[in-house]
Amino acid sequence: MADGAAIRLPRILVADTGHNGTSPPPGLDAGILLRNTDLAALIDCALSGSTPPAVELDSIRGLGSDDAAVDFLRRKLSIDIMLTRRPQAASAFAAAGGLALLNVLAFDSTGLRRSLLGHPRGERVGTVISPGLVLHHMLPSELALLVRPLVAYGLIDTAADALATLAVADGIVVRPEVAMGIAESDALLRGVGAQPG
Amino acid sequence: MTSSVPPTASEFLARLADAPCCAAIVDGGRLEAALASRAPAVFVLRGNGLELADMIRCVHERGKLIAVHLDLVDGIKADHWGVTWLARCGVDAVITSHGQLIPVIRNEGVIAIHRLLLSRREHLDTAVTALARSRPHIVEILPGVILPAISSLLPPLDVPMLAGGFIRTPLDARTVLAAGAVGVTTSSEGLWDLHG
Repeated sequence: MADGAAIRLPRILVADTGHNGTSPPPGLDAGILLRNTDLAALIDCALSGSTPPAVELDSIRGLGSDDAAVDFLRRKLSIDIMLTRRPQAASAFAAAGGLALLNVLAFDSTGLRRSLLGHPRGERVGTVISPGLVLHHMLPSELALLVRPLVAYGLIDTAADALATLAVADGIVVRPEVAMGIAESDALLRGVGAQPG
Repeated sequence: MTSSVPPTASEFLARLADAPCCAAIVDGGRLEAALASRAPAVFVLRGNGLELADMIRCVHERGKLIAVHLDLVDGIKADHWGVTWLARCGVDAVITSHGQLIPVIRNEGVIAIHRLLLSRREHLDTAVTALARSRPHIVEILPGVILPAISSLLPPLDVPMLAGGFIRTPLDARTVLAAGAVGVTTSSEGLWDLHG
């Protein structure tokens, strides 16, 4: 994707290591988030023509978190979406035309506000809230502080939790089993999380 | 410095039976409200850890207990000597996320509260293993509001459990207590008077 072009965030990011050949369930507005893997697996995925739309920078063993690593993800591997807990890496990825999502920890309301102080709040830098399950317990005033797009990540372990979280988030990160549960749920028939026409 | 004898963990937990919500404060500004409430204990999550004497005295004079978060207060390093300082200041409990400091806290004769920060499913096993190794008197789970949703993912813990984080309504608190917590830590003043 060319720099500056709009990048679409899938509603559902299915977490995978790249070793399992995971594909998003058909019918969902979903893509793969590569995480908890190594640099070789990431490159293998890209070379095989199955470049995932999203990568979690901090969990790729062997990959740094500096500008060179960010540039490699964006320009060499054409990764569109990058999750990271490092504000500088997020800004650099956004400057390279990608959609960066800064990981913000939300264990309590006080800590949330402190974590948000480091958010670059620049163009194409959204927010990941961890654990994502807490998102639908936040007050409207807290949700208003979160820079969009907003992705919920962590401890979303059932289809019901996923659908409740999608009511307030732009996207969620779930394990493949949970994505399958969403696909099979009745809510899909109502159009929640479904592939746009 | 103080010469008062800290309570045992059992004494701390017994107080929660009547009033399960502890007052979490981030500065002295809300101390008076905490002291005027039914909250059995004040959890100090911010502030100057080197100037706690007045606060500790006020809390004890009102018959309440005081727990201080070693990792979050200013001026103190989260190490052996930081723990010793807090113990000698007269705090009743020390909270930390550093499992290796739990035995140090116990050895100082104060209540050791291990704070577990839960963010990912794959971290749960690691957290539980850390808990088994550190052997705290009490564990505090954050964010506590999601405890009912994740309790089935947690193996049985043989440590009394507090829950803190985004717990703001009586319904939140009751639901968390029903999910297995013995108490709640909250900055929501409206919960500090909750009955057990």
